[in-house]
Amino acid sequence: MEQNVLLQLTHISKRYKTELALKDIGMTLHKGEILGFLGPSGAGKTTTIKIITGQLKPTSGEAKILGTDSSNLDASIYEKIGVVSDNSGIYERMSVWQNLSIFAKIWRVKQSRIEEVLKQVGLYEHRKKPAAKLSKGQGQRLVLARAVLHKPKILFLDEPTGGLDPSTAVSIHRMLTDLKKEGMAIFLTTHNMEEATKLCDHVALLYQGKIVEFGTPKELCLKYNRKKEYRLLLHDGREETFGQTPENVQKIAEWMQQDKIESIHSCEPTLEHVFLQVTGASLNV
Amino acid sequence: MGNFHKLLAVAQMKWIGITKNPVIMTGPLFTVGMVYVYKIIYQMAVGGKLTPGMMTLLLNLGLTMNVCGDGFMMVGTAIAEEKEKHTLRVLMTSSVTGIQYFIGSIFFPFLITAGINFAVLLISGLRMSGEFVPVFLFVSLTASLISCVIGMIVGICAKNQMSASLVGTPLMMVFMMIPLLGSLSDGLKRISGFLFTGVLSELAGAYAAEGSYTLQPLAVAVLVGELVISVLVFLILYRKNGYEKD
Repeated sequence: MEQNVLLQLTHISKRYKTELALKDIGMTLHKGEILGFLGPSGAGKTTTIKIITGQLKPTSGEAKILGTDSSNLDASIYEKIGVVSDNSGIYERMSVWQNLSIFAKIWRVKQSRIEEVLKQVGLYEHRKKPAAKLSKGQGQRLVLARAVLHKPKILFLDEPTGGLDPSTAVSIHRMLTDLKKEGMAIFLTTHNMEEATKLCDHVALLYQGKIVEFGTPKELCLKYNRKKEYRLLLHDGREETFGQTPENVQKIAEWMQQDKIESIHSCEPTLEHVFLQVTGASLNV
Repeated sequence: MGNFHKLLAVAQMKWIGITKNPVIMTGPLFTVGMVYVYKIIYQMAVGGKLTPGMMTLLLNLGLTMNVCGDGFMMVGTAIAEEKEKHTLRVLMTSSVTGIQYFIGSIFFPFLITAGINFAVLLISGLRMSGEFVPVFLFVSLTASLISCVIGMIVGICAKNQMSASLVGTPLMMVFMMIPLLGSLSDGLKRISGFLFTGVLSELAGAYAAEGSYTLQPLAVAVLVGELVISVLVFLILYRKNGYEKD
């Protein structure tokens, strides 16, 4: 396995009794990369994470994490990965600090690191508070702090900002970007397209257990930008959409010269539109 | 064990969880309190010093309540709470192994259960002679350990704290009531001889009546056998689904 490849899935399939949950999934995750696994609920995102982290066995195919087959993971691998899911629990009877202190002991992390991550996620002032008294957003930040406490090589995030308020989501995004800069590889599952566009270097669109598209968010959006259009807001309040024709280009140029345009946007599709075009289904299902 | 620090971390986490959970801590405190209150009632009834038979009753009540109720409810409820709050999966994906979790989970409950066995012995007023101490130690510590392992089985089978009570209570009643009611029926007494709680109860009764107790091979076989069986049942369940069925 190439040195920078930290995770490699090859022809992974998973069958639950009669239902085929994953079909021939393949992809790689490199050091310092954020890979988005996008799809609606039930597409197989969580199943994929569970297979990679050794919580489920694939029906066929191979998942290699840090060079080790995920079917034969030993405890030492878990010292190098961090997992955050929307139902990752916290010890409610313990304080915020104690929650991290226990895991710092498990991973032999210095206590000073606890202070560092608590400051990063904005929970340092709440360190003595019982975890049961944290809000949902604060709880999710504590889960994230715990997952990165030991500076894992790969961080798995299963819907990390699901149900969070926008400001908490933004602070989590900022933290993920910083972690990426430090070289951490991040495997992110989400059905939030904006989040994926903002954070991910590559995205895989997952639909009914199959990867239907793969690429950078920009590549995918441009690939499906088949009908080139521009949306204009004019000074008189009119909103107009123009296709890319020689006449329209001339007209727009004239309006620009006459300073009639308030704003102008190209109408390439968003990842959500791409998903819709590829699958015919909406993401938020 | 190379990763002893992980075991200690789990044990510490369990200690905090147990001591801050009033539902779990009520059991051991209730056992000690109940034995003490019964002692006062008995003393009032006889107007002073307790007879050996009364002391036996107190010891029997305390030991069986503690070993049956406290041991496995403490362990079982704590695991069930971890499942309910989704922290068990977090722990198992943080490099803690099954065996580390097992030992870390029963360490403090075992010490508490064993400690309460001695506390109720002291409260009962029975005084041990030197040669009785090792026998009492062996029987009470083994029974406490079996109780904690059964707690692990309860925990592995339960989905949440409510189901831990549902799974644990019938087991608790069987292990507690059969030895306590053994004096009322020969059949129950015979069955009691094959239960670890029965061995514990027999020890208390024999010592009070005769001032000494010789551990019979059958009693040793029952204690060791039930410890081995409970560990095996746990291992079978663990190998089947881990701590949580997915």
